Amino acid sequence: MFTGFDFDVIWRSLPYLFLDGMVFTVQLTVLSAAGGIVLGTLIAMMRLSSFAPLSLFAGGYVNLVRSLPLVLVIFWFFFLIPWVWQWVTNAPRPVPVGAFLSALITFTMFEAAYYAEIMRAGIQSIRKGQVGAGYALGMTYGQVMGYIVLPQAFRNMLPVLLTQTIILFQDTSLVYVLSITDFLGAASKIANRDFRPVEMYLFAAVVYFAVSFTLSSLVRRLQTQIAIVR
Amino acid sequence: MIEIDNISKWYSDFQVLKGCTTKVAKGEVVVVCGPSGSGKSTLIQCVNGLEPFQQGDIRIEGVSVGDRRTDLPKLRARVGMVFQHFELFPHLTVIANLCLAQMKVLGRGREEATKKTMALLDRVGLKEQAPKYPGQLSGGQQQRVAIARALAMDPIAMLFDEPTSALDPEMINEVLDVMVALAHDGMTMMVVTHEMGFARKVAHRVIFMDKGEIVEDAPKEEFFGRPRSERAQLFLSKILQH
Repeated sequence: MFTGFDFDVIWRSLPYLFLDGMVFTVQLTVLSAAGGIVLGTLIAMMRLSSFAPLSLFAGGYVNLVRSLPLVLVIFWFFFLIPWVWQWVTNAPRPVPVGAFLSALITFTMFEAAYYAEIMRAGIQSIRKGQVGAGYALGMTYGQVMGYIVLPQAFRNMLPVLLTQTIILFQDTSLVYVLSITDFLGAASKIANRDFRPVEMYLFAAVVYFAVSFTLSSLVRRLQTQIAIVR
Repeated sequence: MIEIDNISKWYSDFQVLKGCTTKVAKGEVVVVCGPSGSGKSTLIQCVNGLEPFQQGDIRIEGVSVGDRRTDLPKLRARVGMVFQHFELFPHLTVIANLCLAQMKVLGRGREEATKKTMALLDRVGLKEQAPKYPGQLSGGQQQRVAIARALAMDPIAMLFDEPTSALDPEMINEVLDVMVALAHDGMTMMVVTHEMGFARKVAHRVIFMDKGEIVEDAPKEEFFGRPRSERAQLFLSKILQH
């Protein structure tokens, strides 16, 4: 069945695929997940704020971002950020920010909208009495959030946050539109250079599947381990 | 020490508190009782500003709770509160539950906070449970930890919001024992409860509320001996019958 295919090309390109491609993919995933969760948590707190302008802004942001295709946002940011940077720094012309930084900012801001919804559900899952108990002990809003609500919300939501991060891991492949060499980009370049698209794309699919599936299984196991004793 | 001055509170159109006025003196134990929905829990939650109110004022050692300029966290740190559902922090051990506010609010060092914590846990008979998580304790034990947590802040007064209502019957006494001991130590206490045995034993005054009003506010002997209002008589006959 596989006559005419050359799977040796995979073996030969492994260092490039993983040391260049996968390292980039993992970096982008981890950094934008971390940034997205921090930003998303802030947006969730804003959205739950009783101060209307804050909650309206946060709600608008989340709804806007979630209604846009990711590829469009990636493109849009890549061309927009240089102009914004020019405006911020008062530079004479648009400042190119580099594909990686552009992708990182895009993914952080895009994923923040999704993480925000997860954290919002997490914060709302904490009983109101917990907040009251914190206030009754003399804590400020920041302390109640930081020591009582968010740690519990984060733990309750960790499996969902990680599942979203697995989706992010797959979504980072969309940076190919900026001709960045992520894992899929690397595979694609080899495929074009050596005319081996079937082998390379098959291999890429197997790797994405293996990584995602392994992580999902880990999340499922983690779920039972981190549950708060009640 | 606690002055509740003509406070009223509305949930949109519904008035939950109607011009409630009373005082709790230093060292006094005041029990607040009444049928469910009478506003007694709301009243006690207003005392440390957990529930806002629209009219009147509450002063704790002269500091106004209703005044926007009042540093509420600072005021609350001096008033202990015990909740119906304990509200221990489930993600923290018993020690951490007691140490958290001591360190973050009062600025005590870990060593000092831990020392205080262990002394208080000893006092409520739960020293061995210190490294456990709240979920591993019984309801009665959790409520005793919650009392210890409030005491760790060296409060000038303690508020109890139905502290035994969520407990299984066999655990009520272990919590009441701690509260009785506290009363005997001279702690200023305001206690919302249906435990009339507790009221008879340690209360100085009993407040009876119905439909958001303070119907009766009398010394214990008077309240149990010959309640003036019909509503209090009816309430007492209902809960003391069995």
